[in-house]
Amino acid sequence: MTAEAPPVVAVDKSQDSASRTGVRAWLSRHPLAAYAIRRLGLYVVELWGALTIAFFFFRLMPGDPIQTLIQSLQQNYIYNAQASAEIIARYKHEFGLDGNLLTQYLVYMQKLVLHGDLGPSLINYPTPAQTVILRSLPWTIGLLGISAVLAWILGMVIGAIAGWRRGKLGSAIATNLSIALSHVPYFFVALILVYIFAYSMGVLPARSAYDSNINPGITPEFIGSVLKYGLLPGLSIVIIGTFSWILSTRMLMIPILGEDYLVYAEAKGLKGRRILTRYALRNCYLPQITAFGISLGFIFNGNVLVEQLFNYPGLGTTLVTAIQQLDFNTILGVTDIAIFSVLTAVLLLDLLLPLLDPRVKYWK
Amino acid sequence: MRLLTAVLRTIRNSRRLATGLVILGLLVLLALFSPLIAKAIGGSQDPIELAAYDKWLVPGPDHLLGTDQFGRDVFAMVVKALAVSLQIGAIAGVISTVVGVIVAFVAGYKGGWIDGILSTFTGILLVIPTFPLLIALSAYAKNVSLFQVGVMISIFSWPFAAKTIRSQVLSLRTRPYVDLARVSKARDIEIIVTELLPNLLPFIGVGFASSALGAIFGLVGLEIIGLGPGGVIDLGQIIFNAIGTGALTLGAWPMFVVPIALLTLLFAALNMVNIGLEEVYNPRLRGVAGE
Repeated sequence: MTAEAPPVVAVDKSQDSASRTGVRAWLSRHPLAAYAIRRLGLYVVELWGALTIAFFFFRLMPGDPIQTLIQSLQQNYIYNAQASAEIIARYKHEFGLDGNLLTQYLVYMQKLVLHGDLGPSLINYPTPAQTVILRSLPWTIGLLGISAVLAWILGMVIGAIAGWRRGKLGSAIATNLSIALSHVPYFFVALILVYIFAYSMGVLPARSAYDSNINPGITPEFIGSVLKYGLLPGLSIVIIGTFSWILSTRMLMIPILGEDYLVYAEAKGLKGRRILTRYALRNCYLPQITAFGISLGFIFNGNVLVEQLFNYPGLGTTLVTAIQQLDFNTILGVTDIAIFSVLTAVLLLDLLLPLLDPRVKYWK
Repeated sequence: MRLLTAVLRTIRNSRRLATGLVILGLLVLLALFSPLIAKAIGGSQDPIELAAYDKWLVPGPDHLLGTDQFGRDVFAMVVKALAVSLQIGAIAGVISTVVGVIVAFVAGYKGGWIDGILSTFTGILLVIPTFPLLIALSAYAKNVSLFQVGVMISIFSWPFAAKTIRSQVLSLRTRPYVDLARVSKARDIEIIVTELLPNLLPFIGVGFASSALGAIFGLVGLEIIGLGPGGVIDLGQIIFNAIGTGALTLGAWPMFVVPIALLTLLFAALNMVNIGLEEVYNPRLRGVAGE
């Protein structure tokens, strides 16, 4: 089930055909390329492993989606007759549920890899699951992307200042507040914000993603409405996110503060702010970029609840609805997308960082 | 005995660790005494029984936090729910720490291809978003018990523990005293138990605290979607009830503010223990996270 095959070997062969002196020689002369190939191989193995685990996890779960579908069709009076064996077989084929587990797996992977096809969605049959997911994806990317980046920037800035002004009252407050709140679920803040701004003061909407009286489109009214409706869910992610970034930035910052080059910068008579931004912070933000990539997956976990609370039409809400109705092509699709985005983000960061930062050397 | 004094000294030296443990201890005490508290509130009858009192009473001397939509005393409910939340943290924390420690030791100590397979597997589990799987698992598994939910949550939380502990095992196993033990023909299991394990206790503590934190949040999340275990009330379920019954609009603020405040306190305490332990073990961090 897991990665037994060393990834390097598989990739090496395809790389080699052009080289005359042998792969090993070429790779030893190009350590960066060797690193990239090894990293890419690991990516493929991890992606395959995670998708496989997710597939079997959902397939081994009890529950009969076909029966659910037929029941819902009967309830909607699309047809009254009892489902014949032929119809059931046809649906099974459509949903990729015929044959044994291994056949199902091979068919699923083949469709996914070759065509990006996740199979039809059960709730929205015959709409493909990928269409359903793509419809909700922009909302999640918008909400999550903007608030996650905002939290990261805010946390870096406040964390750096908190580290820089260590020992001052403001720094102590920021640090202790971060320690207390950095692991609190986004959802709690969201609930408090809803209570204050939506129910007590009635100034901001607490449900949906935009005013239903406004037609969606690239108009100032619609964009304004989206921003207004996204403010509370976004804010809850930003607040908690900022606290955890403050903590980690501060932890990276403080060991740097004693370094010689900072003392030198100070001796040169540079202003504090310049030393902080040009000299000290530089060494913090690269590791923090990597941490950001890794954190994407966890943001997604917490985001499911926030979307649920605000009835926001994003991936999280789609997922919960799909789970309630046993729509497992969609469930698996959402999980696959989350896996894919986290792994790809980490891969890109691992490949880009050596180019950005000469001190980063993963290869030997 | 030697171990105990060492532990006490560690706690005394780290203010953060001490604060976290004290808060945690108080919460555990509150949870342990929850039957007594319930008795004190309800007198002869159970204050959490349906229609024990009038519905939607406002907070007052008789009912410190008011009553809910079924006429249950919110204060008694919250205290009892705290006990349930702590239980899930303990169950999942213990299971995932034990599994994590075993995997970490096998991988870190044996090394080679075993390490390769186990580490890749751990890495893969780490990137799978756990919450969707958890929702799915509890949606399919009807009428789950608290213990089963704990087991389900641990399935996804042991990789964290395994990862942090493994890296420490790797650095410890090449230390001279381990080599010495190996030269003197100690068996692997002896080396692990007598030489490595005691030195890793703080990291195991960190693993436990993180897993417990994750498990408590996991259960709260499940309850809020309406998928928790049957027959028990945890803090998440009270919050879920508050949303579902419109307590937010009715102004029954204790129903969601108090559980959130208690859980936040719990998260803060566990996080303080976490950071405190990390500081103890990594002297370079000392003073870094603190003032």
